[in-house]
Amino acid sequence: MIRNRTYNRRNVFVAVVVIILVSVLLTVRLAYLMIYRSEEYAAMAKELHERERPIKAQRGSIFDRNGVEIATNKPVCTISVIYSQVKDPERVIDVLSDELGLSKEKVRKRVEKVSSIERIKSNVDKEVADKIREYKLEGVMVDEDYKRYYPYDSLASKVIGFTGGDNQGIIGLEVKYEEYLKGIDGTILTLTTAYGVEIENAAEDRIEPQAGNDLYLSLDVNIQKYAEQAALKVMEAKNANNVKLIVMNPQNGELYGMVNAPEFNLNDPYTLIDEIAREYEDQTLSSEKETELLNGMWRNACISDTYEPGSAFKIVTTTAAFEEGVVSLDDKFFCPGYKKVEDRIIRCHKAGGHGSQTFVDGIKNSCNPVFIDIGARVGVDKTYYYYEKLGLFSKTGVDLPGEANSIMHKKDIIKAVELATMSFGQSFQITPLQLLRATSAAINGGKLVTPHFGVSVKSWDGRIIKTLDYEETPEVVSKETSEIVKDLLEQVVSDGTGKRAYLPGLRVGGKTATSEKLPRRTGKYISSFIGFAPAQNPQVIAIVLIDEPTGIYYGGTIAAPVIAELFDNILPYMGVEPEYTEEEKQEYKIGTFVVPDFIGKTKSDAKALFKAYEFDELYSLGEGEVVTEQFPLPGETVDLNTSLVLYFD
Amino acid sequence: MRRTAGEVNKKTIYRYYDYSLLFLILFLVSFGLVMIYSTSSYNAQRMYGNATYYLERQALLAGAGILVMLFVSKIDYRIYFNNLPIIKVKPIIFLYFLCIGLQIYVLKFGEVINGAKRWISLGSLGRFQPSELSKIAVILFTTYIVQLAPRKLDKFTGFLRVVLFIAPLLGLIVIENFSTALVAGVIMVAICFVASKKKGYFVISAFLLIALGALLIILEPYRFERINIWQNVETHPKGYQILQGLYAIASGGVFGKGLGESMQKLGFIPEAHNDMIFSVICEELGLFGAFALILLFILLIWRIFIIAINAPDLTGGLIATGVMAHIATQVLINIAVVTNTIPSTGIPLPFISYGGSSVMVILFEMGIVLSISNQIKGEK
Repeated sequence: MIRNRTYNRRNVFVAVVVIILVSVLLTVRLAYLMIYRSEEYAAMAKELHERERPIKAQRGSIFDRNGVEIATNKPVCTISVIYSQVKDPERVIDVLSDELGLSKEKVRKRVEKVSSIERIKSNVDKEVADKIREYKLEGVMVDEDYKRYYPYDSLASKVIGFTGGDNQGIIGLEVKYEEYLKGIDGTILTLTTAYGVEIENAAEDRIEPQAGNDLYLSLDVNIQKYAEQAALKVMEAKNANNVKLIVMNPQNGELYGMVNAPEFNLNDPYTLIDEIAREYEDQTLSSEKETELLNGMWRNACISDTYEPGSAFKIVTTTAAFEEGVVSLDDKFFCPGYKKVEDRIIRCHKAGGHGSQTFVDGIKNSCNPVFIDIGARVGVDKTYYYYEKLGLFSKTGVDLPGEANSIMHKKDIIKAVELATMSFGQSFQITPLQLLRATSAAINGGKLVTPHFGVSVKSWDGRIIKTLDYEETPEVVSKETSEIVKDLLEQVVSDGTGKRAYLPGLRVGGKTATSEKLPRRTGKYISSFIGFAPAQNPQVIAIVLIDEPTGIYYGGTIAAPVIAELFDNILPYMGVEPEYTEEEKQEYKIGTFVVPDFIGKTKSDAKALFKAYEFDELYSLGEGEVVTEQFPLPGETVDLNTSLVLYFD
Repeated sequence: MRRTAGEVNKKTIYRYYDYSLLFLILFLVSFGLVMIYSTSSYNAQRMYGNATYYLERQALLAGAGILVMLFVSKIDYRIYFNNLPIIKVKPIIFLYFLCIGLQIYVLKFGEVINGAKRWISLGSLGRFQPSELSKIAVILFTTYIVQLAPRKLDKFTGFLRVVLFIAPLLGLIVIENFSTALVAGVIMVAICFVASKKKGYFVISAFLLIALGALLIILEPYRFERINIWQNVETHPKGYQILQGLYAIASGGVFGKGLGESMQKLGFIPEAHNDMIFSVICEELGLFGAFALILLFILLIWRIFIIAINAPDLTGGLIATGVMAHIATQVLINIAVVTNTIPSTGIPLPFISYGGSSVMVILFEMGIVLSISNQIKGEK
C-alpha cells in the first residue's frame, strides 16, 4: 500500500484552490449578468414573451341632421380554436359546424391545423356566440368585436358607404371621414409561451382603445326617404336604367339627400343587387367581372358621372347674359324652328318654331334659337368667365370621394357652332352636382356654396370636436340678376315647359331638360329637371336625372312631376307654409270652413247639409237612420275639400 | 475526541463514514428533482400530456442511483484493483475494455439524437450514454496506472506513459463527444498532477493540450462556429439557445422570480431541463439561489478534498481527486457555458440536469468516495 504523501495532499489543495478561484470568477460573472445586465436582458426577454393583441376601437356613428343614427356598430363575435388546448376535437367540430352552419370538412381542416390560433368564423351574431360559449368547449375562443351596422339598409347607400374587414371605410362618407370615425385601437399585452399560447392569469398591460368620433350630417333621413321613393317610383314607371336625385339647401350647400336609384344594401355590400344580377342570371361571373360590377354598383353617379346638361343649362346662359347686360326681358326674338350658325343648321325642339317671342317666352318655351342668340351676344371669353365664376371648371368640393370634374372645350378652339351648342347645354359635360351648385348661385342671391354632408364631428360624449366649415364665394352673381333668374324660372314652372312641377302656393321655380345621350340618334335620353322652392326665398333645390327612360322621355313631362311630388312631401315637413294667391285659392279651392253639427240629423237632412259645404267625399258608416258620430268634429276648422265621415245608428 | 488517561491502552478502531457528504449528495439530488419538475413540466405536458413525465423517469433513476451509491460505499474500493477470485481478472481492466468496447459499439450502432451519435438504446428502459461510464473508467484506470509506479510521474515520460494508456479511450470519446473527452482529459491530468512531485512539465503539457484542442477545433467546422457564436451571441442566428439562457439568467435579478415562475422555460429555452437548467435556476431563484447552489457544490468539493487528503492510501486519494475533478469540471464548464463565458459545449450540471446515465454515474462515483471515507480509520 502506497501512502498518501504530503505533496499529494498539497497538490489536492492546489486543485481545490483553483476550483474555488474559478468558482469565484464565475460568481462574479453571474453577478455582472444578474445585476448589471439584468434590466437590459430582462427587457429583451419581455419583448419576446409579450404579444400585442389589438383591441379594435369602436368606430364612430353617423347621424343625420335630426340625430337619427344611420351608421352604427353592433356587437359580433369571432370564433377561433387554439390547437394545443383542444381536448375533444370531434365534439368541437360537431358543435362548431352545427352552430355556425359550416361544413364539417371546413371546420375539421381548421381545428386540426397545427397553429397557435386559427379563426373559424368572424362576424358571428352575439346570440350564436353566446350559445357556443355555453358549451364550454376547451380550446374554443369567443372574442367579442364590433361590426358596422346600417339600420336603414339601403338608405343613401352610395353616400354613406360601408366599411371593410378591418373596419376601415371603403366608399362614401365612411372613407371621407375615416380619420374622425375610426378611433384609436387599443392593445392587450399578454404573455405567451414560445408557441404563442397565451398564459392564463399572466399580468396584462392593457391600453384602452379610444372610440371614434361621431359624424353629424346635413342629410335628413325623411327627405332622403321621400327622395328615394320618388326616384324608385319613376325608375320603375319609366323602366329607366337609374335615377339620380339630389336635394340641397341652396343657401348654404347642405345636402339633404342624394339618391342613386337603385341603391344597394349597406349591410350586404358584396351581393349584387337584383337589378344587376338579373342581367347575368345564367352566367358564372369571373372574379374580375364581379369586382367590376360591384364597383359599378357602389358608384355615386351624382358626383362621379358627367352628362350633357341640356336645356337646364340655359339657366347658366341666362345668368351670364343678364350679368353682361346683353339681354332684357322684353327683347324680341324670332324662332323659325331652327337657327343657322355659320354653315350649320341647329334645330329647335319645336319643329315649326316658336315664332315671334320675348326673352321671357323664350325661356318658358326653352327655345334653342333664343339661347344661341344670347350666347353669341355674351361671347366666348365672357361665357368662360361666368362658367368659371359659377364653378363649372372645378369640382364642387363635396365631401365625398371620387368626384368628377367637367369636360369642357378648350377655350381657343371654340367657334360660333360650339358656342351655340354650349348655350343650350350641349357639347360638354358636367356632373349633376355642378349644375345644382351653379343654379344655386344663380338663385340664392349670388353666393357660390360648397355642397356638403358633414356638419360637425362630436366625441362619444357629445363634445364638439370640430365644426366643419366650407368655402363660400359671395357675389359670383349680382343680386339683381339673381332676382331676375328666380323670377324667370318660377314662370317656367307656372306657365312654361316646367308646369308639371307646379304646386299651388309653394312657388316652385325650375327648368326642364332632355339630353340626348352620346352617341346621338340612338334614342337614349336623360330626362332631367332642376327645381327649387319657394321662389321668393329658396329653401330647397333639387335635381333629378332619369337615365334612359322608355316611352315619353321629355324632362318636362316625366322629370318635373318627380320634383313636384318630392317638394309636395318635403316642403310641409321642412316647415315651408304654402302662400296662395287669390287665383290659386279659387282655382284649387284653397281655404277653410267650420264643420257644422251633423249629430242627431236624419240621413236626408245630413245629405242636404253635406252638399251646402265644400266637403270632398261623404263616407257613411252603420245601418241606422240618425247620425251618432261625425268626423271631423263639429266646430272644427278644416281645409276645403276635406272628406266627411258619418256614423248612423 | 480527548482520551482520558485510563483509556490509553484501550484503543477502539472505528470506521469513519462521511455523513455530511451523504447529506450534501441527497440534498443536491432532491433539489435537482425539484428543478427538473419546474423546468420540464410545461414541455412534458405539451409533448407527452403528462407534466411529471421527465420527473418520474429522473426520480426513478436517481432513486436507483442512490441505492447503488449506498451499496458501493460499503464495498472496499481496493477490490477494483485486485484480481477477482476465480476468473483472475482485475475489475478495473475489465471496466476499461468494456468501455472501449462500448465506445466502439456506439460509434457503429449508436442512436443519433440532435445530430450526435452518443447513445445506446435500451428499448423501453431508455438510453444509455457510454461516455458517462467511461468517465468512471478514466478515474479508476488512471489511478490504477499511476499507483503502479507513482514515482515515475515525477518525470514527463512518466506522465506520457499514463497518457498513452488512457489515450485509446479518450480518442474514442472525442470522435463524437468533445466535451466529455475534455472532462475525462481534465480528470486524467488532475490525478497525475496530484500524484506528481514535480510540476514543471504540466505547464508544457498544458500548452500541448491547448494545441491539441485548437487542432480539434480547426478540424471540425462546427466547433469553430461555436467560437463565432460565443463572440456574437446576440446577433448570431445560432446563438439562440445561449441567448435565451442569458435572458433567463439576467431576468432573474437578485432574488429571482420565484420557484416555478420562469418564463423562459416555456419553450424559449429548448429542453430547459437539460444542460441549460442552471439558467432557469438563476431566473427562478435569482443570484441568491445560484450563489447558494455554487456554494453547495464548493462544500461538496471540500468534503471530497477532506476525504482525498485523509484517504488511507494514495489510491484512495487519487480516486477522490478524480471524482472531485470530474464534478468540479462539469459544474464550472456548465456554468461558464450558460453564462456565455466560454463557447458552448454540451455538459450537464451534475446532480441537477436531466439524464439517467449522468446521475447514475455521478452517484456511483460518490459511492466510491463514500467507500474511501469508510476506509478512513479513526481511533476512539
